[in-house]
Amino acid sequence: MPLKASSIAAVLALPCAAALGAQTAVVYGTVRDERGSPFQNANVVILGTPLGTLTNREGHYRLSGVPAGRIILSARFIGHVRAFDTLTVAAGDSAEADFTLRPSTLDNPLPFVVVGPVVVTAAKRSQLLDQAITSVAVVSDTELARRAVNTVDEAVDKAPGVQFLYGQVNIRGSTGYVQGLGSRVLMLVDGVPANQGDRGGINWDLVPLEDVQRVEIVKGAGSSLYGSAALGGVVNVLTRDIAPGFHARVRATGGSYANPPYDVWKFRDYTGAEEGLDATGSYGTELVRASVTGGGWHSDGYRQQDRRDHWQTAAKLDWRPLAATRLTASGSWASDQYETPLMWCTQGGCNDRGQAYQPFMIDTAGRGAFTRSDKGYVSATLERTASARLAWQARGSWLRTDFTDLQQGQDDFGVANRLGAELRGIARPADGRVVTVGAEIARSDVTTNIFTGDTSTTSTVVRTHTQSEFAAYGESEQMVGRARITAGARVDYIAVDGGGLSAVVSPRVGGVFATAHGAWRASVGRGFRAPSLAERFVSTTIPPFHVIPNPNLRPETAWSAELGKVTEVSSALRADAALFWTEAHDLIEPNVNLGTVQIQFRNVARARLAGLDVSLAASPLTPRLTTSLAYTFLYARGLAHDTVPERPLAFRPTHLVTLSADYQWHTVSAGGDFRYTSRFERVELYPGDERVAGKVLDLRVGVERGPLSLRGRLANALNYIYNQVPRTLAPVRTLSVTLTWTY
Amino acid sequence: MTTRTRAATFALAAAVACNQGLEPALAPTSCPQGFVGVCGTVSFVGQVPESTAKLFVVAFDTFPKSQNDLFKFKPQPSPPNLPLGGPPFFYTLLLPPGRYEWVLAVWQKQGTLSPANADSLLRETGFYSDKGDTTGHGSGIVIVNPGTGTDSIDFVVDFNTMHRVCFYFPPCP
Repeated sequence: MPLKASSIAAVLALPCAAALGAQTAVVYGTVRDERGSPFQNANVVILGTPLGTLTNREGHYRLSGVPAGRIILSARFIGHVRAFDTLTVAAGDSAEADFTLRPSTLDNPLPFVVVGPVVVTAAKRSQLLDQAITSVAVVSDTELARRAVNTVDEAVDKAPGVQFLYGQVNIRGSTGYVQGLGSRVLMLVDGVPANQGDRGGINWDLVPLEDVQRVEIVKGAGSSLYGSAALGGVVNVLTRDIAPGFHARVRATGGSYANPPYDVWKFRDYTGAEEGLDATGSYGTELVRASVTGGGWHSDGYRQQDRRDHWQTAAKLDWRPLAATRLTASGSWASDQYETPLMWCTQGGCNDRGQAYQPFMIDTAGRGAFTRSDKGYVSATLERTASARLAWQARGSWLRTDFTDLQQGQDDFGVANRLGAELRGIARPADGRVVTVGAEIARSDVTTNIFTGDTSTTSTVVRTHTQSEFAAYGESEQMVGRARITAGARVDYIAVDGGGLSAVVSPRVGGVFATAHGAWRASVGRGFRAPSLAERFVSTTIPPFHVIPNPNLRPETAWSAELGKVTEVSSALRADAALFWTEAHDLIEPNVNLGTVQIQFRNVARARLAGLDVSLAASPLTPRLTTSLAYTFLYARGLAHDTVPERPLAFRPTHLVTLSADYQWHTVSAGGDFRYTSRFERVELYPGDERVAGKVLDLRVGVERGPLSLRGRLANALNYIYNQVPRTLAPVRTLSVTLTWTY
Repeated sequence: MTTRTRAATFALAAAVACNQGLEPALAPTSCPQGFVGVCGTVSFVGQVPESTAKLFVVAFDTFPKSQNDLFKFKPQPSPPNLPLGGPPFFYTLLLPPGRYEWVLAVWQKQGTLSPANADSLLRETGFYSDKGDTTGHGSGIVIVNPGTGTDSIDFVVDFNTMHRVCFYFPPCP
């Protein structure tokens, strides 16, 4: 790769180079294919820094504020081999680095999308994936586009070791199913925490899929950097960079749901459909860039009382007022109105036609249930690379959720806010050492008639509760020979309703040892989850039980350990395996008291989750074919406590297998995923119901021609009828077609 | 057929062969094999009230001695529903092995149920009793054995003769 010294022509072409200041430089160049044609929207980044950009229509890119010294530059474009270049730039200099990307061949297969080379979540800074001390899975923009899905969870669902149970994410069996309350996984949007302020759950449709660049999934306890909720892992949804110039994208989707496979299950006289339309426009200069997205979709649903309307808008602003300084502001607002399907009906609960159960119908008593849900966020992040050895960022965020459940006999509502701020610094005091320190504050509040803390049985009481969190953290990475040793800790102080502070300390140590064919990694860390305001103050009736509050709930905690190895078996085969072990304490679970006819959340359970996580990615037979296999073995036991004996944890599969394959022939692609989930050994609620394993095959095809892309998806192609959540039918076969126009 | 075609065909066939998900299941007419609990036929008399929320069947291992015992029923938390009238209906009630003194149908009025308003929203509307039983609340002792279901726990739901909670625990307000 040629590297030219700055020339008069370059200086003329880059008039602001002289204004860069004494500590930074400019890197610019072009990204082309082997025939010399420029790539538009090729991604060029400097590894280990937040600096990155996309090429314009002529294939040009320009990165300002580059720290003086040795940098590693990377350029990539879909369907081509990623290229790297190492430069040494002087302060105030301008350096040109042009890239020529080769298409994927047998000798240079496509990068494995499950283990992309750079991640930003595992250490709260950019690092090579192989340098992360915990397992990380990456869902790339290529995978998001191929799957032609509507929301982030539909794409993340097939990531290794990840399983969704009716919208509730499990990483190595972390959460199980608790009806959306208290996720033991933290969701981030561009690094900003986005779990609900009241229930602690996750809204996976908070960010339009059109705006998502990739998703990083960090497995295991991440509380040493991220605090509460990162007990089982972290999912970071990273939005797209905005390219210079004017760009637009319109995406139209249409589809239909399979009818019940048996006449006796028929519940309507038409075929259910779904349709959606999204549009995105962006404009960018070297100084400022902005994008706006809007759209919506409607679904008839695949079962009775399952209609849904979704409207959404989002915007992002990227301002670079000074060299090495970047201000990013973004926001999103989504509104959903949907019928609530509740559980399926059993004999006698509906027009059962002589059947023991009707999986597509709901109980007559639940007809009319409806939910309106609005949610949105705004955040702003200021990043500054002060020198080659110091960078810092400050951010503020506001997340708001507003829901109303309209049901027979009662309407519940909750309006919650979560305000957060963080200041973070990344220092490189010496070669081979990186230190990350930061402080974070957050305040959650909810005004509600269901999480009131009131012990009466009426729902007319409306109360407001608050939770404040203050935290400081630090982590240091030190090179020792071929090893990178990491140690750090975070302390969180939590106060509820202005009461006294309770402290939680979350340490973590780990290391990575590089070998000729890969790297070993090991880590031990402590995670925790503070009880959500909903768990503390819920006061409602689930006939005949009265659910009563428990303001004295303590955080649940877990020690998590992992030993992993990533290996380049050959140029066409990469393997990643990890043994993991988690010991959880004080898990919060609902406790049913038959004597008082009450349910209350309590710190009762101890649990052990251990297992093996293996993923293989390969291009066998031909480089046009990419395949992957992921297998997770999970031993999940609730340990004996009080009068409860040791038993399997509910809603955890022992075996989780995902097979994926994609074949690319010029502009045409075809592929599929097969997901096997073993039958749950134990469930809560209706343990006598028949349970089956999950076996779901998704197929997809795509073709691209000029600015148009057409993708077809056949989800659950075998129309496998199953449920994983009690009496709740999993999605049936769904055919969808997505047409995308890109300018 | 090439090796690749054979492999693809085999993979597809294997995937299809895996398709053994949930299938229609006729409502049973006797306790299913392996079922543990009680089964029987409920017959209906009278018209169901318009204010009905639901009708369900429950069991008590000992007859309630006070209103506070009313919610110590099984199965928890959500007992199976019965249809709101119509032809005789075969029900199954999943129960742990043991001795049960009262198997009954409960009518629930529309509204939010809580222990405080149980008397106004709940009615006993029929229960199982032994032949020759003359007690007011029935003395239908039912034994549920491990590994098997107990059949023929039949009774009548009479919407014309429903009893409030205070009928059993007077006085009525």
